[in-house]
Amino acid sequence: MASIDISNVRKDFGIVQVLHGVDLAIGDGEFVVLVGPSGCGKSTLLRMIAGLEEVTAGEIRIDGARVNERAPKDRDIAMVFQSYALYPHMNVAQNMSYSLRLRKAAKDKIEAAVSNAAGKLGLQPLLERRPKALSGGQRQRVAMGRAIVRQPKAFLFDEPLSNLDARLREQMRAEIKKLHKDLGATSIYVTHDQIEAMTLADRIVAMHAGVVQQVGSPLELYDRPANLFVAGFIGSPAMNFLSARYEARDGKGAARLSDGTLIELPATYLIEEGAPITLGIRPEHVAMVPATPGGLQATVDLIEPTGFGIILHLGLHGLPFNVFTLDREALMAGPTVTVSFPQQHLHVFDHQGNRATQ
Amino acid sequence: MAIATASLSPPPGRSLFDRMARRAEPYLYAAPALILIVTIMLVPLALGLSYAFRDVQLLKPFSGGFVGLDHFRTLYGDDNFYRALRNTLWWTGASVFLQFAFGLILALLLDKPFAGRALVQALVFLPWAVPTFLTGLNWAWLFNPVIGPLPHWFYALGLMSEPANILSDPRLAMWGPIAANVWWGIPFFAITMLAALQAIPRDLYEAAAIDGAGAVRRFTSITLPFLAPTIAITVLLRTVWISNFADLIIVMTNGGPADRTQIVASYIFTQAFKALDFGYASAIALVLLVLLLAYSMLIIILRQMMMDRG
Repeated sequence: MASIDISNVRKDFGIVQVLHGVDLAIGDGEFVVLVGPSGCGKSTLLRMIAGLEEVTAGEIRIDGARVNERAPKDRDIAMVFQSYALYPHMNVAQNMSYSLRLRKAAKDKIEAAVSNAAGKLGLQPLLERRPKALSGGQRQRVAMGRAIVRQPKAFLFDEPLSNLDARLREQMRAEIKKLHKDLGATSIYVTHDQIEAMTLADRIVAMHAGVVQQVGSPLELYDRPANLFVAGFIGSPAMNFLSARYEARDGKGAARLSDGTLIELPATYLIEEGAPITLGIRPEHVAMVPATPGGLQATVDLIEPTGFGIILHLGLHGLPFNVFTLDREALMAGPTVTVSFPQQHLHVFDHQGNRATQ
Repeated sequence: MAIATASLSPPPGRSLFDRMARRAEPYLYAAPALILIVTIMLVPLALGLSYAFRDVQLLKPFSGGFVGLDHFRTLYGDDNFYRALRNTLWWTGASVFLQFAFGLILALLLDKPFAGRALVQALVFLPWAVPTFLTGLNWAWLFNPVIGPLPHWFYALGLMSEPANILSDPRLAMWGPIAANVWWGIPFFAITMLAALQAIPRDLYEAAAIDGAGAVRRFTSITLPFLAPTIAITVLLRTVWISNFADLIIVMTNGGPADRTQIVASYIFTQAFKALDFGYASAIALVLLVLLLAYSMLIIILRQMMMDRG
């Protein structure tokens, strides 16, 4: 168990800068998820914490001690790889005990640690098997067992579920969460899957192009995204964006769409009159209303039933716009529908893409 | 084949020729390949083996009669043969070991990325493309104090009391062809080991580094187990090839001085093409064949055991 402090960490590969000064403080026992599209630098950051990549500038501290120059084995961390990285010529028990054997731990201690971890993960019947005789989910468990046996200061996960099929991924996600509850170990988890991020994290770190975009609890990121990137990345189907100009009328803000429609905003914002803004609204928050004069008319391009709900692909002023609804009558919608935006669910972003201040 | 003939069973009431043609059909299809294999592989092999039991000497027009096991009796008491056998062990063991060791080191170096790696890789593999005849001549010249630099370097380093040709020194002569052979054969091991190294997933090394394995431990517990099957098969192949490989010795020392570099393969060559005694040469070849077959079986069994364990 330990805290991890990352201050102003940068990483260059030759002339390419992949991390532009990352600051992050991870508390003892916290589960932090680094999320972002591929190439955003999240894996690089994790590998720098593990000691597999050198730190170009800045400082990484584990439990208060600077580890920049320490070899991976001296950082007392364990890592679970996307490919599992199990040693193919060792059986499950040997794979799990490798680190303890390298440290020349006592034999009974090793056995106790292995059987304890195997018990937690349901691996006891498989201890004698080699990795090639295991299924993907079992390999994943062995990789986690190998990490648990060590009782490290922190667990690092590098997209550990990406090689599993959808059903197994859900199951393992729940197991990882349960395991974290049991062990209470500091964990850093890298994924590009926002569902994994939302469900597992105490705090999410959303990254884009080597820059941290927002740090916060899953619901904070969902309810109050700090900028257009986070707003678009978190949530599925993704948030809808509409370009508009800001207007202030009667002490209240409003947005003028390109076709002249005026949409009232829940508050006034520190934005100049007439400045371009972006309105955001999540598909599940859009309301479909009976046609009224002056209502927002949209054409129905495509209807996707998911079983649980229905996704309507609409065209609003010729731009794609999605609505998610649980109402099965939407299956019959068309050729046009009228939509309205409940004020409390509107997100306003200024012309730089940042959340507008009220 | 059984199924094919069964389904082609002749319909009743045809002529005898028709029925015979149908029976022969599958054999006729297989015939071209079989005839080729028999004529170019089995016939020469059987002929060569048969020489071992006959008195075939090119200079005696009336030789050729069956002599039974006479050649083997002579061989049994032939001190030259035993020396050649010992020399073969030395020649093969030293050549394979050094080729393998340097090849593996080279492969490990070439596995690390550095500027100009592609060019260096191409250059390193060059000796393999040099004809062995040329390799032998080149190294013979290098060891020759009149035109080659090596004796003078050895002398300057204090390894030799005078810049002499090691190829004419009975104690050292074998190291001449061995050096040439190592130079020529390193690329084979480097290429195969490099291919095997590059097939090892990188994250295994990273996982081991995190688990606490140092460089030596990572080599012994990841690299070696991954390379083991490749090492087994390449060492087996090279051992067989090198123990049969007389070109360099013939070119550089011709078995001398005083038969000190005569290996079994070059002894066969000498018997066949210098003494022109094909019968005796075939008998020696048969013994070498049996020894190599036994060795190959041993390695294959060992490898199978390793695979079963793994």
